[in-house]
Amino acid sequence: MSAAENLAASSAAIELRDLDKSFGLARIIQNVNLSVEPGERHAIIGPNGAGKSTLFNLITGKYAPTSGSVFMNGQSVSGLKPYEINRMGLSRSFQITNIFPKMTVFENIRCGLLWTMDYKYSFWHLVDRQTDLTARAEEILDQINLTARRNDLAGMLAYAEQRALEIGITIAGGADIIMLDEPCAGMSTSETQYIVGLIRKVTEGKTLIIVEHDMGVIFDLADRISVLVYGEILATDTPENIRGNEKVQEAYLGSAEE
Amino acid sequence: MTTSADSPLTAGTRSLVPLSSAMPWIIATVVLLALPFVFPSGAGLTIMNQMAITIVFALAYNMLLGQGGMLSFGHAVYMGLGGFFCMHLLNWVENDGLWLPLPLLPVFGGLFGLFFAFLIGGFSTRRAGTVFAMISLGVGELIAACSIIVVAFFGGEEGVSGDRTYGPEVLGVDFAQQSEVYYLIVCWMLLSTLAMYLFSRTPIGRITNAVRDNEERAEFLGYSQRHVRWISFCASGFFCGVAGALFAINLEILTEENLNTTQSGIILLLTFLGGVGFFVGPIVGAIVFTLLQTVLSLYTEIWQLYLGILFLATVMFFPNGLTGLMAMHIPSWKAGRLGLLMRPYAKMAVPALAFVFSAAAIMEILFHAREASVGSEEMTLYGMTFNSHGYAPLVIAAAVAAASLYLMKQIAPSVREAWSEANPVRGDS
Repeated sequence: MSAAENLAASSAAIELRDLDKSFGLARIIQNVNLSVEPGERHAIIGPNGAGKSTLFNLITGKYAPTSGSVFMNGQSVSGLKPYEINRMGLSRSFQITNIFPKMTVFENIRCGLLWTMDYKYSFWHLVDRQTDLTARAEEILDQINLTARRNDLAGMLAYAEQRALEIGITIAGGADIIMLDEPCAGMSTSETQYIVGLIRKVTEGKTLIIVEHDMGVIFDLADRISVLVYGEILATDTPENIRGNEKVQEAYLGSAEE
Repeated sequence: MTTSADSPLTAGTRSLVPLSSAMPWIIATVVLLALPFVFPSGAGLTIMNQMAITIVFALAYNMLLGQGGMLSFGHAVYMGLGGFFCMHLLNWVENDGLWLPLPLLPVFGGLFGLFFAFLIGGFSTRRAGTVFAMISLGVGELIAACSIIVVAFFGGEEGVSGDRTYGPEVLGVDFAQQSEVYYLIVCWMLLSTLAMYLFSRTPIGRITNAVRDNEERAEFLGYSQRHVRWISFCASGFFCGVAGALFAINLEILTEENLNTTQSGIILLLTFLGGVGFFVGPIVGAIVFTLLQTVLSLYTEIWQLYLGILFLATVMFFPNGLTGLMAMHIPSWKAGRLGLLMRPYAKMAVPALAFVFSAAAIMEILFHAREASVGSEEMTLYGMTFNSHGYAPLVIAAAVAAASLYLMKQIAPSVREAWSEANPVRGDS
């Protein structure tokens, strides 16, 4: 690594150094080095089974790395619990919709707000009477266009609405680093367009790391792209350069695009 | 934005509680204060005291089961320990002149329950689900075993007894009378119920629900699922301790029976019976269970069998409990269509009751034939006296049961029809 890149590393929003993860004998993530700048929209692409979700789980604390480390704003977060990493300003969504189905849409958003709005484990506040909480939750509902479904149970929403809600919960806490795992999976073209617009709107000025299969979404949204194949990063570059990269075309784009 | 009262609930009443949400509490208070005048007998008061204590215990239990999704098989421990501790406090008041007015005793029972919940919850709430359930069972057995071994605290087989009347009088009341105890217990029940209700509306209360529904999601929102469970476990332990203190005040004796796994099983059973998904569910369960326990047991020795059947039927047919059964009717009631259901229900009630009574008759006759002492073959049931060893009564009861079951099957479609008419399938009603 050059000196210039080391210098950049200290200011990176997310930096992965020699990251390795094995499950038994299977080495899922191999020697991954990656640096995502603050405010950057970074996409991770790769064929099925390349280890994209594992990488997400390593960064967000669901898994601890076998070796190597994860830095967030210059601080090591390797081995921390998901809630500790979240409290440091990182929030994520899931590939499979992960909401609170038995709560109302409004309550789902409110749950995402409680910690960062300093209510934490309070048992001396009544949630319904906290006007700041309600106002903020309603703002977010408005942003994700779910105001009309405010009082419906989240489990009753249509799929695309649930995905929008998931993004709403993810950004509610005001984290600076947002990680979205396949936000457009299983959506029609028009729904995808809608969600991409939504992502663009709600992650304005934030660092975004996104895993997605839909190449249209990726090339539309991302500032830089990393290609992950068999747990290794093949290339990290701007969308144009990735499109022109022969190694990438060979390994991935040529066979998988559309 | 934040100052404008745009929510209708808070409009104009910034500090006051809106009347609509205070109404159930006012009604409950009035009814509870008036009840001793309706049932002034000693037996009536005993039942009502028992009921109130069970309500506190069941609500505290449901803070875990319903609100937090934690199935505890040993929750009588926290009520029992709180109760034992309070018995010792009462004895210190009596023998060593400790100054402690009786109405404050539940605070100490609660703190003792909280203390143990804090200790045990420290490791038992690391995981939810089966692991938590197994640890709770183990701890339950452990403490129950200790109650025989640690005689100094648990008093061995005869338990610990005392006298509640030695404390300083409060407003000239020494709590010798059963009715005085009733008002003390009811006050604490109302306070505890209100506190537990409000707890469910706090940030920690809401997040307890969130962890129950999706612990992984909650972790990625900044909450440690373990800490959330631990805190609600402690809160539950506190109110269990309060219930234990009320028990100590009411009966002035605690034994191993108060904290063994049978007791833990009963609280699980009655909470489920009432409905774990509703705040009032445990209240309904505690009332129904106490009535069955005290009233039904006057009429039949095999009341526990009926209770078991009721429990099974609830689990199988109404998993949301008795409260869920009532709550099912709210949409049609709001739509003004509940009347549509009354006639079919009344029609159904006749064979249903006939079935219940004839099925019970079969069990009673069989029980009598097996258990009655030699020579006493006569039994009296529903005002009829007959020989329980003959076949005729069994055949008649079985015939009635079969006929009423057949009738129920015939009437069922009309009930179902009325149900769909009263609850039209639409997005909103």
